[in-house]
Amino acid sequence: MTLWFASRATGIVALLLLTAVMLLGILVTRQGRLPGLPRFAVSGLHRNLSLLATAFVALHVLTAVADGYVNIPLTSAVVPLTSPYERIWLSLGAISLDLTVALIVTSLLRRHLSRRAWRAVHLLAYLSWPVAWAHSFFSSGDLQHGILFVIALICAIAVAGAIVWRLAAAARDVPRAERVGLIMAAVHDRTSRGAATGPPRANDRDRTSTR
Amino acid sequence: MTAATAGAFHDGSSRAAATNDLPRLLPPVQDGKRPPDLAAHHARHGDLPYRDRIGTPASPGALISDVEKSGLTGRGGAAFPVHRKLAAVLEAADRRRRTPAVIANGAESEPASDKDATLLWLAPHLVLDGLQLAAEALGADTAILVTHADREHDVAGRVRQALQERLNTRLDRVPVQLAFAPGRFLSGQETALVNHLGGGPSIPTFMPPRITERGLNANPTLVQNVETLAHLALIARHGPRWFREAGTPAEPGSMLATIHRGDGQPKITEVPLGLPLRDLLGEPQQTPAPESAVLLGGYHGMWLPAARAATLTLDNSSLEPAGARVGAGIVISLPPDRCGLVETARVIRYLALESAGQCGPCLNGLPRIAAAFVELATGRPRPHTVEDLQRWSGAVIGRGACHHPDGTARLVRSALITFAAEADRHARGRCSATSTAPFLPIPAAAAQTEADWI
Repeated sequence: MTLWFASRATGIVALLLLTAVMLLGILVTRQGRLPGLPRFAVSGLHRNLSLLATAFVALHVLTAVADGYVNIPLTSAVVPLTSPYERIWLSLGAISLDLTVALIVTSLLRRHLSRRAWRAVHLLAYLSWPVAWAHSFFSSGDLQHGILFVIALICAIAVAGAIVWRLAAAARDVPRAERVGLIMAAVHDRTSRGAATGPPRANDRDRTSTR
Repeated sequence: MTAATAGAFHDGSSRAAATNDLPRLLPPVQDGKRPPDLAAHHARHGDLPYRDRIGTPASPGALISDVEKSGLTGRGGAAFPVHRKLAAVLEAADRRRRTPAVIANGAESEPASDKDATLLWLAPHLVLDGLQLAAEALGADTAILVTHADREHDVAGRVRQALQERLNTRLDRVPVQLAFAPGRFLSGQETALVNHLGGGPSIPTFMPPRITERGLNANPTLVQNVETLAHLALIARHGPRWFREAGTPAEPGSMLATIHRGDGQPKITEVPLGLPLRDLLGEPQQTPAPESAVLLGGYHGMWLPAARAATLTLDNSSLEPAGARVGAGIVISLPPDRCGLVETARVIRYLALESAGQCGPCLNGLPRIAAAFVELATGRPRPHTVEDLQRWSGAVIGRGACHHPDGTARLVRSALITFAAEADRHARGRCSATSTAPFLPIPAAAAQTEADWI
């Protein structure tokens, strides 16, 4: 039974970590910043938390398989529709795990891949996270009551909100060819008015973010 | 055919005599500026020496091994060994079972350089020979020559005429297409060129993949500067030993240089690598004024005090310790009545406007650097302006898809050092220039919409 409890606990922690990774990843695509952190630290945090989340997912899967309380064969961790226990909801877990592995492997090999190929695989995160959430929410009753229910709901709202924010920000993007002229005009206006030319400021970025 | 043909050109007995066969690429001066037709081209250089053998990575054809022995490097600015690019394309084509493409890069985008247009105007057949030979050595089925449409001379018309002559005599085995690059500073960068030919905007793309691996239409692609191809056409005729008779052992051969000295038209001249810069800068016996300066390598290049430049030679082994590079062979001597800071400010502003706007450090950093440099140049610098420029130029280096931020930062830093005394003068509200007429050439129009990049 200890392993069974460990599996449920690590599963919940993994969901929280994956949610954080998702939010940071969306922030990175918009070159956003966190208070007190330089921009490169946001992508560093995204990367390191994703590895930590993977470790928890691995623990979650291995403890569930090793535990004898319910019968889950190892193959069911990666192949959908093969588990005798909670067939549908565990399939979602397997799908999410497969997608996560693809994300991690392509990111570790990013140096050797074209940007386009890496990005195509990385976009699968937007599929992987909702599938992982559904697996967490429906495969056991843990997240369906009390404080954990509230936490699961907050995770879902946070990610949905971040996606909407990303799409809205992308829609406001200045076309690439017009960005330089806009910044030049802004900077030289500031100079000619005699105000300080500071280092790049956050509000410039909102209107002219790069890919 | 190497030694015998070489002997016909000169006796090769001494170094001084060896460089007497220049110019190799451009027609001899006494022939005037009249472009030679195909018959005149063949009379001077001989027939196109096809070898009828496509190489394989295991046994590359004779051309690649000749190019390797010759030590020819790319003349577009990067000085990358030509045989290594050829071998990389050959290897990728063999491994991926793809047919390669060859591109002659005449999209000379550096405003201070005019050598590619001059070469295409005066010796188009030599470039087209090189393009055919490279296509043959790689088994390529696509050959494209890229130039600008809006040149003072009708370079495109001249190339079209040359292609027609070759078509009439059925000289070319691979059909050559003529394409045009937009007049942007980054258009000639090879990933931008391939992106443009593939139907996209003329902006640099991220590597990998390298274009020798996946370039035009995802095929392995060779992009060589037009001058490089012209040298290749001569190496195929006269052999590597002949090629090495000019230049230095480490950097053999000759190159086209664009020399700006005083006002007026820049001069295009073919010089051996390793030539003392003193010979290019003129007034060899006169000690240069302490303030005079030389810009080496164009707008991504390096300002040096003229006295320092006069001790160097035109090859990377001599220039690199001074922080400079040969690049595309641009040597600009600043007239004594101009202010180096004012001239540099105009160039930096131009470079900032030419950012493709896709990488944050370049897009956000260069306009600020330009604004601060304009402050310095117009004589209203604040106490921290120079320090800001130092810090910001350090912050953009190595952080773009291409080297645009790096090259711009290099120019800024070298100007701050070379014109340090002038910067002090500006801080006190003075300037040593007596003429405000712009000297360094800057194209008029900056890009405003996507159409300017197509």
